[in-house]
Amino acid sequence: MKTRFPHAYVLNVMSDDHPGIVAAVSSTTRRLGGNIDALSQTVVGGYFTLIMVISLPQAADPAELAAAVQGPPGGKAGLQVTARPFIDCEGGLCDRKSERFVATAFGKDRPGIIALLSEYMAGKDVNITDLYWECTNDDFVMISQVEIPPSLDIALLQADLEQMGREEGFMVKLQHENVFVATNQLRLVHGTGKSG
Amino acid sequence: MLQTDEILSTIQMLHAEHLDVRTVTLALAVDDCAGTSIDHICRKLRDKILHRASALVETCDRIGRKYGIPVTNKRLATTPVSHLVAGHGHATALAIAKALDEAAATCRVDFVGGFTALVHKGIGAADATVIRSLPEVLSQTQRVCASVNVASRKAGINMDAVGEMGRTILRIAEATAAQRGFGAAKLVVFANIPEDNPFMAGAYVGEGEPDAAVNIGVSGPGVVCSALRRRVQLGGKLTLGDLAEEIKITSFRVTRVGELIGREVAAELGVPFGIVDLSLAPTPQVGDSVGEILRTLGIERIGAPGSTAALALLTDAVKKGGAFASSSVGGMSGAFIPVSEDAVLSEAAAQGSLVLEKLEAMTSVCSVGLDMIAIPGDTPAETIAAIIADEAAIGVMNDKTTGVRLIPVPGAKVGDHVEFGGLFGSATVMDVRNVGASAAFVNFGGRIPAPIQSLRN
Repeated sequence: MKTRFPHAYVLNVMSDDHPGIVAAVSSTTRRLGGNIDALSQTVVGGYFTLIMVISLPQAADPAELAAAVQGPPGGKAGLQVTARPFIDCEGGLCDRKSERFVATAFGKDRPGIIALLSEYMAGKDVNITDLYWECTNDDFVMISQVEIPPSLDIALLQADLEQMGREEGFMVKLQHENVFVATNQLRLVHGTGKSG
Repeated sequence: MLQTDEILSTIQMLHAEHLDVRTVTLALAVDDCAGTSIDHICRKLRDKILHRASALVETCDRIGRKYGIPVTNKRLATTPVSHLVAGHGHATALAIAKALDEAAATCRVDFVGGFTALVHKGIGAADATVIRSLPEVLSQTQRVCASVNVASRKAGINMDAVGEMGRTILRIAEATAAQRGFGAAKLVVFANIPEDNPFMAGAYVGEGEPDAAVNIGVSGPGVVCSALRRRVQLGGKLTLGDLAEEIKITSFRVTRVGELIGREVAAELGVPFGIVDLSLAPTPQVGDSVGEILRTLGIERIGAPGSTAALALLTDAVKKGGAFASSSVGGMSGAFIPVSEDAVLSEAAAQGSLVLEKLEAMTSVCSVGLDMIAIPGDTPAETIAAIIADEAAIGVMNDKTTGVRLIPVPGAKVGDHVEFGGLFGSATVMDVRNVGASAAFVNFGGRIPAPIQSLRN
């Protein structure tokens, strides 16, 4: 990822959700003369969290940067901020040849399901790029977008996950993301060539 | 990045509504298997099919697993065998059928279509041999499917061929009397046969098609029916326009799935992708029924007034959604109403709410025609021919494909129940009214001239 200015930092912001958080964070960045190069935010259970990459023309101490974004103690925004220098790992740690799949799981909720699934995936070098979990009346839905290294046999992964689901009492499916793109988006997707 | 609600709605289709790809059909030109001896033709045919199709089933299964979508049927279609039979006789036709049957079994495909004769303007010698061999072919093979085109917009209706098919269907039924005339279920008599149809029994490879292609039949009516039910349950003031919109959206999605898998199978087999056929093909499975869709649209008893209009709405919405989803739409692309294969239609026929004449009316707005209908085994050949002629007239005059797949069940009377098994389902023998009253018309023979609509240049 290319940033606008040479000195880049990754910041994590957490707070209870209320109007003005993004405004507080972005106006501090502007005041520092910096640029927001990438940002993603979400709200879960009334709590707000945001991760962003910002870049500055001049070097900064990450702790001071976090304090600047956080604002004065007891301030209106009530933010909790951490920061560290940004090191571009795209194309490095991440395997660009990986294929993107979607793992979905459904069933009766109980503690430990995400741990079970994610430990299995971690053991196979499967990278989770997006994770969604929702629980209604004891029933859970998990949607996990994952990158699977080409060396792995999809059929075996699917068999393992489905078996795990059977043993643990939930249903789990692993499918290539193209089927979701094909059925929901206007752009045409074409097959990925060799499968499995 | 995909949105959560997008993923959830697809998951709903895949797992709760049993989305599948109904058929992946590998179309193969086999004209180059022609030869001077029976053995030589059959050897080339077997070698070619095994070389090109032996990986089909495994490839479909593997790609289906990758996307979490099963490919229900894997099939083969060939160029008309009449091209190979030319210059040969009856024994060659039968040997070719058996070679096709064996090759299909070795490749583990469900059916092989292409035992085909095109006789809409006249019956060539090879076509006559193919037609004459049908009773033996369809009684002595398991997987071979046959089709005969007796009419077209440009040629009109070849009534000599229509008459011959009336007699041939009875002979096939007699030859398979032990299976309640089941052989006739593997034959479709067409008007305007499509060259790239992936569905059986009418799949074949027509003129102008490439040497090989992968053609796809999309998922069945179950998905559309579930989507409609969900929409109705959401409540609010709904009009037929809203329901048509729901069908359109669902059709878009199932077509996309078909094309996605079809293109990948084609790429892996190293052949071009052909077409997606948008037809909704029912199975006897509960819920996978075109009749059930019509019920959801508010037609309480199938065959009641409104059935044709509801079917027209369905067919049109399916085409619109599918045509937007894919630029490679072909085949028949509509909705099938095969009576024995559709539990709700079969029940309506058994209860008497759905009669042959209403089915005929319905075929004027959907694809194919009088399909998988059991009739008494003593129905005269001229009456069967006249039913074919009526259906062909709908096709020729409206510039669409129509077909007839009637099963005269030997020894059966109106109201008898017949089990065909598997995807072919079960049927109640339907009443054919005014039996024998059209013999003189059929026996005139000759050709019903092409309609004025054929003069479009």
